[in-house]
Amino acid sequence: MNALSTRRARAAIVALAAGSLALTGCSGGSNNNKDKAQTDADAAAQAKTIPMGTAADSTGPAVAVKGARNGGTIRVYQRDSYNHLDPGQMYVSDMKALSQLIFRGLTAFKQDDKGNAKVVGDLATDAGQMSDGGKTWKYTLKDGIKFEDGKPITSKDIRHSIERLYAKFITDGPTYVQTWLSGAGTTYRKALPDGPYKGDHLPKSVLDTPDDKTIIFHFKKPQSQLPYALTMPGYSVVPDSAKDTKDAYDVAPVCSGPYKIASFKSGKSMQLVRNKNWDAKTDPVHHQYPDGFNITFNHQASDSTKRLMADQGEAKNAVSFTNAVDPTLTKDVLNNASASKRMVQGYQPYVWQMNFNMDRLKDKRIRDAITYALPDQQLVRLNGGSYGGEIAGGLLAPTVAGYKKGYDPYGKLSHPNGEPEKAKKLLKEAGKTGMKLVYAYSNTESRQKEAVAIEDALTKAGFNVQKKEVDAASWYEQMGKVDNGFDIYMTGWGQDWPDASTVIPPSYDGTTIQDGASNYSHVNDKHVNSEIARISEITDVKKATEEWQKLHQYIVEKVNPAAPAFYTKVLQLYGSNVGGIRYNLDVSYLDPNTLYLKK
Amino acid sequence: MLQFLLRRTFGAVVILVLLSAFTFFVFFGAGDPAAMSCGKNCTADNIALIHQNLGLDKPLPTQYWDWLVGIFAGRDYSIGHCSAPCFGYSFATKQDVWSTLIDRLPTTASLAIGGAAVFLTVGLGTGLLAAYKRGSLIDKVLTSISMVLSSAQIYILGPIALGLFVYSGLMDSPKYVNFTSDPAGWFMGLLLPWVVMATIFTAQYTRMSRSTMIEQLQEEHVRTAKAKGMSSSYVFLRYAWRGSLIPIVTILGMDLSSLFGGAMITEFTFQLAGVGRLAIDSVITLDLPMVLGVLVFSAALILVFNIIVDATYAFIDPRVRLS
Repeated sequence: MNALSTRRARAAIVALAAGSLALTGCSGGSNNNKDKAQTDADAAAQAKTIPMGTAADSTGPAVAVKGARNGGTIRVYQRDSYNHLDPGQMYVSDMKALSQLIFRGLTAFKQDDKGNAKVVGDLATDAGQMSDGGKTWKYTLKDGIKFEDGKPITSKDIRHSIERLYAKFITDGPTYVQTWLSGAGTTYRKALPDGPYKGDHLPKSVLDTPDDKTIIFHFKKPQSQLPYALTMPGYSVVPDSAKDTKDAYDVAPVCSGPYKIASFKSGKSMQLVRNKNWDAKTDPVHHQYPDGFNITFNHQASDSTKRLMADQGEAKNAVSFTNAVDPTLTKDVLNNASASKRMVQGYQPYVWQMNFNMDRLKDKRIRDAITYALPDQQLVRLNGGSYGGEIAGGLLAPTVAGYKKGYDPYGKLSHPNGEPEKAKKLLKEAGKTGMKLVYAYSNTESRQKEAVAIEDALTKAGFNVQKKEVDAASWYEQMGKVDNGFDIYMTGWGQDWPDASTVIPPSYDGTTIQDGASNYSHVNDKHVNSEIARISEITDVKKATEEWQKLHQYIVEKVNPAAPAFYTKVLQLYGSNVGGIRYNLDVSYLDPNTLYLKK
Repeated sequence: MLQFLLRRTFGAVVILVLLSAFTFFVFFGAGDPAAMSCGKNCTADNIALIHQNLGLDKPLPTQYWDWLVGIFAGRDYSIGHCSAPCFGYSFATKQDVWSTLIDRLPTTASLAIGGAAVFLTVGLGTGLLAAYKRGSLIDKVLTSISMVLSSAQIYILGPIALGLFVYSGLMDSPKYVNFTSDPAGWFMGLLLPWVVMATIFTAQYTRMSRSTMIEQLQEEHVRTAKAKGMSSSYVFLRYAWRGSLIPIVTILGMDLSSLFGGAMITEFTFQLAGVGRLAIDSVITLDLPMVLGVLVFSAALILVFNIIVDATYAFIDPRVRLS
């Protein structure tokens, strides 16, 4: 997924812009060694291959959180309201965090306190039974699973949940399963143009529900990643009944998780209360410790940081699911004895990279020259310093299985401010000294500041930089055009689940090049294309991870379609009366599942 | 009076229709709202469906007429029936515009009424006192303070107040609580925004009431009253004060109408979800039905307050003839 969708990207601008003011907030001080160790541990934990759990791992109740107690209402400060409540339309992180509390799907990530995770059955009895070399997956539903209205969840509801994603009104959710079942791109919609709403269904040879408990997926090609994909909120269960009101479901969904929505006032507040029809015995992942959550919106990062740092009144019982510490206040947080004990941090899945338009920059020496010239340390500083990110050596984030710590073929870690002389030499070899380079950047404060630093560095390396400012609201749409008219532009990409198959194919598969596709560099390398096709069919996740890793190295070193810039990180605060705090490897923010009030 | 009210109401309706038509054609003609509300997996088919669902496939004048009719008769959308007064559905959130406005109004109204009560009481009180003690030390101090405060802004005083009282732990964060369910919580939740807002607004009422009061005290009928032996305080309050109220009422009407229409900066500073915050969010997300709804709603309030102010003149000053 892109760093953020269009609407979210606009909101992120504020946070990133604020980061530009935190030049000293994260450098120096006695915390650095401790934080470095923590960072390394985080990276190691987050880069593990997530294995499939067993049927035993999939049984409820979830392992109790030490010291947890029931009761109370947790206050939640959020910056943005939720654009969607229909799970089929949910894709970005803040909605993913919410979905943990109100929705359930066939599978889920189960995480322990040591940072180990597994994919387990959530509504299903296990993570899935694979056969036919990965082309067929069978799921059996648990007993006792119900919607918030008490109606039992059956295989018909699961089929309905998948088939409704083909309907035209669904435009924002994930498309993995639909494309695997019925065709790449947007062609899958032709298989069921109106979804299931006019009585049509996918053929049994594609999606079969032989009884009320069994769902069978039949794919044309092996799909080893199905259990991971089904953890996404977009594949949560929706009732096959009149309560699925199509477009209107986006404001009044039927919940299946431990909490249900008591009220939602867009842009204002949301109240979650216990779902009495949720049975802990069926659920290996979620808890129901607090009586509810009182979520209010419009809290900028500075406001939520100050409230949580002060830890007074209701703020003692508060968290923010996805607001990070305002980078301008990081130093204050670290210097505050109370607040610094109430921090949670971790890597986020995004890798910011300088894309090269390979239709225009065909000579790899030029792309390498730009890669060597980039002032990465400066870019990190402009985005919040060491608590906001770190220099990227490759294009796989530390959160992706296959990430190799220390991988740095362009020596970015040893030359954090770039190597202008090396870049100049490469440019001279290519006979392009003084070449015109059209550099697009969005009209946000942080990107504008970055642009100054990047222009300066590239000019020193011998380029004639022509800056072009682009409206942030349509940034990804404009960069996604095949004939976008630019040479270089910065984009961010993160995995949909911790596997390189959600990073490399969407970003570097030449067969996907078209307007709107996320192969922003227009990489169309025969070896890369054939390897993507080959590795995608490997059903052994460990083996596939090794192969993705090799392909990643080939892409970075032999193709170089994008210069790695920095990995993003997040630092969050919580109120002193909130317990059960841990970092959620799937959501990439603190874990909403384990929260409780201490008293 | 009735004729006056009818005439002004008719004028207000004409203004609202013209304003809404202008906004509608400018906003809805500027781009494709369907493309703006369509998600990342958007295709031409998806956009066509949104056009159909929102009635955007019709000519612009027909769309405006449907919108206008919806206000009085309600409308049917793909996501359900929208009862009158129907201002449409938000493109961004799929929420009914009118319900959202009504939901936000109590926060804004509480902010406006409470703030007005504070700044009117303090502003008039200090202004009258300064006029009464004209030339004295009290007058000079009050005048100086009002001069300083009149240059302050909410986006400066607000964060300072939050730092001093909220982030330090002396007060809870400002919030709106329903008055009928918890009057004390309502009062305490809005006290800080009221005080900050009043600090700024008070200054102009102090200065205005002082200057108009001084003018009134020099009027012939006031001098005549004094010459007849009436006490100073009686003359001050019975004759001079009443005469000084007309400009105050005019300003108050303007302030209240703009506050009811949305105290944007105050709501943004104190994270209060009122009409002003709604206006900001709608503009940022290019949520055109909501922008249009907020605009018409705010304009209607301004017109209503103007009519009330004009009608009030007659009660304050019998010399004013509404006809």
